[in-house]
Amino acid sequence: MNQSDISRRQFALIAGAAIAGAAPLARAQANAQVGPLTAEDAIARIQTALGGDWSAAPDGFKAGDRTHVVQGIATTAMATLDVLKQAATAGANLVLTCEPTFYGRADGQAPAAGGRGRGGPGGVDPNDPVVKAKHEFIENNGLVVFRLHDHWIARKESDMVTGLADSLGWLKYRVRNDDALFDIPAASAEDTVAQIRAKLNLRGGLRAVGDRKATVRRVLLFPGSMTPASMWKRYSETDMIVAGEVREWENTFYAADIATAGEKRTLITIGRVVSQDPGMRLCADWLKTVVKEVPAKWIGAGDPYWRPV
Amino acid sequence: MTAREIVDLIKKNAGMPWNDRSTRDTFKAGNPDAQVKGIATTMMVTLDVLRKANAAGLNMVLPHEGTFWNDRDDTKDLTDNPLYKLKMDFIEKNNMVIWRDHDHMHAMKPDFTVLATLREIGIKADADVGIRAPVYTIPETTLGEFASRVKQMTGIRALRCVGDPNAKVSRILFGPGYATQRMTPEADVVIGGEQQEADGAFDNVEYVMDAASLGMAKGVIMLGHAVSEQSGMEDMAKWLSRFIPDIPIQFVPQEEPFW
Repeated sequence: MNQSDISRRQFALIAGAAIAGAAPLARAQANAQVGPLTAEDAIARIQTALGGDWSAAPDGFKAGDRTHVVQGIATTAMATLDVLKQAATAGANLVLTCEPTFYGRADGQAPAAGGRGRGGPGGVDPNDPVVKAKHEFIENNGLVVFRLHDHWIARKESDMVTGLADSLGWLKYRVRNDDALFDIPAASAEDTVAQIRAKLNLRGGLRAVGDRKATVRRVLLFPGSMTPASMWKRYSETDMIVAGEVREWENTFYAADIATAGEKRTLITIGRVVSQDPGMRLCADWLKTVVKEVPAKWIGAGDPYWRPV
Repeated sequence: MTAREIVDLIKKNAGMPWNDRSTRDTFKAGNPDAQVKGIATTMMVTLDVLRKANAAGLNMVLPHEGTFWNDRDDTKDLTDNPLYKLKMDFIEKNNMVIWRDHDHMHAMKPDFTVLATLREIGIKADADVGIRAPVYTIPETTLGEFASRVKQMTGIRALRCVGDPNAKVSRILFGPGYATQRMTPEADVVIGGEQQEADGAFDNVEYVMDAASLGMAKGVIMLGHAVSEQSGMEDMAKWLSRFIPDIPIQFVPQEEPFW
C-alpha cells in the first residue's frame, strides 16, 4: 500500500529535522501534526497490533536508544552488520530482526552456563572486537534494533509461509489457506531444487535428501526449524518438504530411511535465515499499514553459505 | 557371548566410571541376551546400515547416534508409524540388537570422533584429545583453499562455508557433530558437524559473517553431522577388537545423505 501525501510530508519533516540534529525543533514541528515517533512509540504500536504478552524474551529491544525519533523502519531475517549498513544508508534507523543481533539467543547478555553440543556457554564477551564494532556501528548511526521473532511467527496469518511461497512463485498453488501444503506443477526433485535455488537467489546453503529423479507435486513449506515430530506427522503426505533447518541426526536420517524403504520423497533444507527472509518482507508490507508515518523497507539477510570448489 | 556381556566389557574398558543415567547409551531394540555373531559399528543405524550389517552376519549394531530419529529415541509418538514398524520388524526378524554409545565415547580419552576426523582432514591431534579439542595450527593458507582440501580429503558433497574465501587462516578449532565449538579470538576457522544456524547459545554463522564484514580473517566450515564423526566409529571398531577377540567386528560406513 502506498503512503498518503500527508504521511510522506510528515516523514520529510521529522527526518529532515533529525538529520540536522535539531531534535527539539522536530518535536515542535511534529507535535503540530502527530508528534515525533520514537522507536518506543513505533514498537508500542506494533505490539498492540500484534497482541500477546511481550514481557518474555526473546522479543525486545537489543541495541540503540529507544527514544530516537524513527526516520524509517527496516525488517530483516537477521540483523548482520551488512544488513545494518544497508539500513543506515537507506535512512531506516529502526531495525526489526527475526533472529538475534549479538550471536545467540541471549543476544549479547553475559555468558551463562551452557551445555555440551550447543556451542559452549551462551552470551558474548562485551569486549569481543566484533561485538564492540557492531555496538559502535549501531550507536554511531543512531540505529535501534528490536527483535521480532515469536510474535511475528505466531501471527495467525502465517506470513512466514505466505512470504516464502510468494518468493517461490507458488502462492496460487496453495491447497488450503490455513495450511502450508502446495500443489505445484509436476517436476523432478532436482528441477524443483534448481527452481528454488534460482527464485531465492541461493548460494551454498541448500541441501537435499532423497531421490533426485522423483516427481514432485505436493510440497510442504516449513520456514524456520522443523522438529522430528512435525516431520513424522507430515512427511508421508508430501512429495517434498522445504524446511529452513532440521537437526541432521534426527530428521535427515528419517528422510534417508524413508528413501531406503522405497518411498520417493525429498527433504530440502534451505537454511533457517533464508527461509525467514521472505516472511520478513511481508512484515515490512504489514508495517506500512500500522506505522504509516515512516517508510518501511525489507533488507534480505541472504544465504550465508558458499561451497568450496 | 551375549550383547549384554559385550556391553559389560565396553563399560569395563572405557576407562571411566559408567553413568547409568545416560538416556543415550542404552539398548534401543532387540534382545540384549541374544548371542552375538558379529558387531557392526556405525555412525547412524539407518535401514541401509541394518541391511548391510545383517548381510555381513553382524547382528549387534553399535551406532553413535539414535535409531528412531530423535536424540532420546523416544518412540511413544511412533508406535503407529509405518517406517518405525518396518525398522523394528527388520531388527526382530533378523535377531538383531542395537546398543548406542554416544556420551561415553565423547568422554573417553581420546574421543575417537575428534581424533579420527582431525586425522582425516590432515591434522594430527594429541593422542588423548577430548571432545573440546584445542586450537591446532596448520601452515597458513586461504579459507577457500583449506575448504577445498577438506572437501577433497573427506569426499563431502554438501560442505558449507561462511567467511571470506581469501582470508588467510592457520588456527583451526574442531568440534564433532552438534558439539561444534564457538569461535574464539585464538581461532581463525571453526570446523564442526552441524549447529543451529541462529538463536542458539552462540551463533558462529552470524559472528563470522560480521567478522568478515569487518575484514577479519574468520571462517566456518560445516562438514555435516555424520561426516564429522563417522571415522571415529572405525577407530571404535579397532578399539573393540582389542578386548573382544573372538567375534567379527566391522565398521559399516554410510554414504553422506545429501546431494
